[in-house]
Amino acid sequence: MMNRREFLGATAGTLAASALSPAMAASDRVNLGVIGPGSRGQGVMRTFLRVPGVRFTALCDVYEPRFAEARKITGEQTPVYKDFRQMLDRKDIDAIMVATPLSFHEEHVIAALESGRHVYGEKDMAKTVAACDRVYQSVKKTGKLYQLGTQYHYAPWFMQALERIRAGKLGDITHIYAYWHRNNDWRRPVPDPHDQALERLINWRMYRQYSGGLLAELGTHQILFATEVFGSIPESAIGTGGIDYWKDGRETCDNVQVTYRFPGGKTMFFSSITTNRFVGMQIQVFGTGGSIILTEGGGTAYYELASQNSAVPQKLVVERGITTTASFRAEMPYRGPGEPLKIPDDQQGSPDFLACQSFIDCIRNNRRPGADELLGWNSGVTVALGNQAVDTGQKIVFAEHAKLPV
Amino acid sequence: MNCARYFYLLFHLPLIFATSPLLGQGQAFPNHNSQLVSASHQAMGTIFTVYLYADSPKSAATYFDVAFGEIDRLDATLSNYRSTSELSRINRLAGRSPVTTDPEVFTFLQRAMGYSLQSDGAFDMTVGSLMRAWGFFRGEGRYPDTQELKRARGAIGWQHVVLDAKERTVRFTISGIELDPGGIGKGYAVERVAELLREAGVRSGMINAGSSTIYGLGAPPGTKGWTVHVPRPGHDRESLSTVMLRDQALSTSGSYEKFFRLNGTTYCHIMDPRTGLPVQAMLQTTVITPSATDSDALSTAIFVLGPDRGKKLLDSYPKTGALWLQGKDPYASKTISWHWPGDLNSSGKRVREFWQATMR
Repeated sequence: MMNRREFLGATAGTLAASALSPAMAASDRVNLGVIGPGSRGQGVMRTFLRVPGVRFTALCDVYEPRFAEARKITGEQTPVYKDFRQMLDRKDIDAIMVATPLSFHEEHVIAALESGRHVYGEKDMAKTVAACDRVYQSVKKTGKLYQLGTQYHYAPWFMQALERIRAGKLGDITHIYAYWHRNNDWRRPVPDPHDQALERLINWRMYRQYSGGLLAELGTHQILFATEVFGSIPESAIGTGGIDYWKDGRETCDNVQVTYRFPGGKTMFFSSITTNRFVGMQIQVFGTGGSIILTEGGGTAYYELASQNSAVPQKLVVERGITTTASFRAEMPYRGPGEPLKIPDDQQGSPDFLACQSFIDCIRNNRRPGADELLGWNSGVTVALGNQAVDTGQKIVFAEHAKLPV
Repeated sequence: MNCARYFYLLFHLPLIFATSPLLGQGQAFPNHNSQLVSASHQAMGTIFTVYLYADSPKSAATYFDVAFGEIDRLDATLSNYRSTSELSRINRLAGRSPVTTDPEVFTFLQRAMGYSLQSDGAFDMTVGSLMRAWGFFRGEGRYPDTQELKRARGAIGWQHVVLDAKERTVRFTISGIELDPGGIGKGYAVERVAELLREAGVRSGMINAGSSTIYGLGAPPGTKGWTVHVPRPGHDRESLSTVMLRDQALSTSGSYEKFFRLNGTTYCHIMDPRTGLPVQAMLQTTVITPSATDSDALSTAIFVLGPDRGKKLLDSYPKTGALWLQGKDPYASKTISWHWPGDLNSSGKRVREFWQATMR
C-alpha cells in the first residue's frame, strides 16, 4: 500500500518562505512548476501552454513514467523531481500547479504558498474541513494568489447564467438539481494489474485514504455553482450512496446522492452514478420565473408561462356561462424550445483555457482570481460534509462543523 | 444500400457475431482465454469502433475508456464544430494576432502544413471557407453563387498560415482563413489511440474511424493481420481488393461519401484547393502507410493530385501503397495501383463468398 511518505518522496527538507515575487509586466514570462502531472495534470499543462509566455520549468511526481509523458507535453527536457520540496527550492518558478490526489492537496498547496509561489490548485481545495481551514489560512497569511482548478467557474455560459440569476431574470431560485452521470467503472489502466501499490497510486480515486470519491472529483463543479447562486454554504446535508455495482475492490462509492439545504429553505440535490449516462453532466436551476439548464457544452434558459390576474366582467361568465371543450390548453406542459445562452465571439473559449488564462492574468496584474480561496473553502467544506452525511447516514448540520477561519 | 453503408457493414457484421453484446463484470472470460471484444463511440462526426483482444471484461472496459477518452480529448481540441475547441480559438483569433498554442497542437499544424508543402497545396487545411461556400459544413452541399465562391477562394491558402516555432504561435496573414481538420483529424486520433493502446499493453487490436481510416495494431492470433476490404463503388457486392493490416494504417477517400448532383454533374465534398472546385473524375483513393495521420492526409492529397503526381508525392513516404479508382462513372472506372500490398480483383470478388468463408 502506498503510504504518505512514499508518495511525498524520501527526502525531507526545510521549508523556507521566500520573498514574494515582484509585480510582473503583462508580457513577462510566467514559469510554472507542477506537482502531480498525471492524467488531469497533463490536460491542464497542455492548456497552460496555450497562454502566451507560459513555460513549465519543473515537474514533480513520484511515478517516474509521468516524467516522459509530461516532457512530451512541454516539448523539452524539463527538469524533474521526485520530492516536491527539492523542486520548490528552485529559483525560477513563479507559480505551482498542484494536481495530486485530494488527500495531498493541503500539504502541497501550503508548501507552495509558503515558498512564495502562487498556486493553481486542482479541485477540491482539501479533503477535510480542517484541511480546508488550513489552506485558507495559509493563503491569507502568505498573501499569495490561490485559484481553485474548477474550470466551469470560468465557462462563459456558467457566468452568463449567474448574471441572469443575479439580475432576477429567473425569479427566486428555490432549487438546483445537479447530475454527473457516467456509464463506466471510472478506472484508469494500471500497467501491472497485480501491483497493488501501483493500483492505488494510479486509481487513487477509488481509495478513501486519498479520495473524496464522486462527490469531490465530479460534484465540486456543481456544488461550487450552487454556493455561488445561493450565496453561502449549506446549513445541512443528508446523503446516501454505496458500492453497489462495481464491486471490484474499490472503497469509494460508485453512486452518491446528497441533498443540501441552504438558508431560506433553498435546496440543492446532487447525484453521481456510474451505470448510466443519459443525463450526463447537468445543472438544472429552478426559479419562480424560469429555469436554466447547464451542460458541459452550453446552457439554455426557459421562462415560465406568464400567469396574470385580470378583472372579468360578471356578465361574461356568470350570465353567459362558458363553453366546454375537449382540451384545456393551459394544462399542456410544453415549455417551448428554450433560449440558448449566446456567447459573444470575444468571450468564447474552452472553460479550461479561460481558467488558465485568468490565473496567469491574475499573476501578471496582481488581481484576485475569480475562483479564489473563499470559493474554494465554500465548495471544499460542502463536499467534505456531504461525504460525512453519506458515510454516517446522519443529517449533518454545518454550523457544528464548519466556520470560515478568521 | 450505398457503398459507404456496405463498407460499414462489411467491417462490423463479423465482429458483431464474434463478440458478446454485453459483457459482465466477471474477473476473466470463460476458459481464461483472451477474447476479441469491440465497442463504438461517436465523435468527430463519425463512429469510432475499437476491436481488441483482452483477458477480462474489466481490462477491456479500461482499454476502451483509454481509447474513447483520447478521442474525446482530441475532438474537444481539434473540432471546428465546437466553439470551445483549440482549433476554433485559433480560427477566431489568428487573423488578428499570433495565437500561442500548446506543443501538441503546434506540431499537428506543422505536420498539416508539411503535407501542403509536399503536395503543392493539394492537401490544405485552410479549405474551411470553401467547405462552407459549397455547403458541406453541417450540410450535404449546394452550388455557391459567384460572389460567395470568389470570397471563399480569397480566404484559403496554406501559405497564409505562419507557424513560429520559437514562439509557438499561429498567425494568418489574411482574414477569413479557417482551418478544417476534416482531412487529417480522424487519422491523428486513430494514430494516438493506437499509441496509447500499445503503451497500455494491447498487442492485437483494430481502430476504425468511420471506416475511412483504419489501423491494424498487431494481428489477430494465428493470422497475418487484420483483414480489410476495399470496396468497388457502385458495385455493392464486389470488393476491389483485400489487404491485411499489421501495424499499418489504411485510409480511403471517396466522392460518394458526401456529394450533390446538379445538371448531371456530381459535386463531391473533396475540394481542389488550387481551383476552389470539388475534385472531378475521381471515385476513390486508398492509401496504406505505417502512420494513420499520414494515410488520412495522403488519401485526400492523392485524390486531388491524381495518379501521376500522386505517385511522386507518395515516393517520399516509405512503406506506402496506394490505389486510385479513376473516372466519373463507377461502371467505367479505371484502377491504378502503386506498391499495393494486396491482390486486385479485376472482375470483383463476390462478397457473399467472402461472408460464407468468414462464417464457416
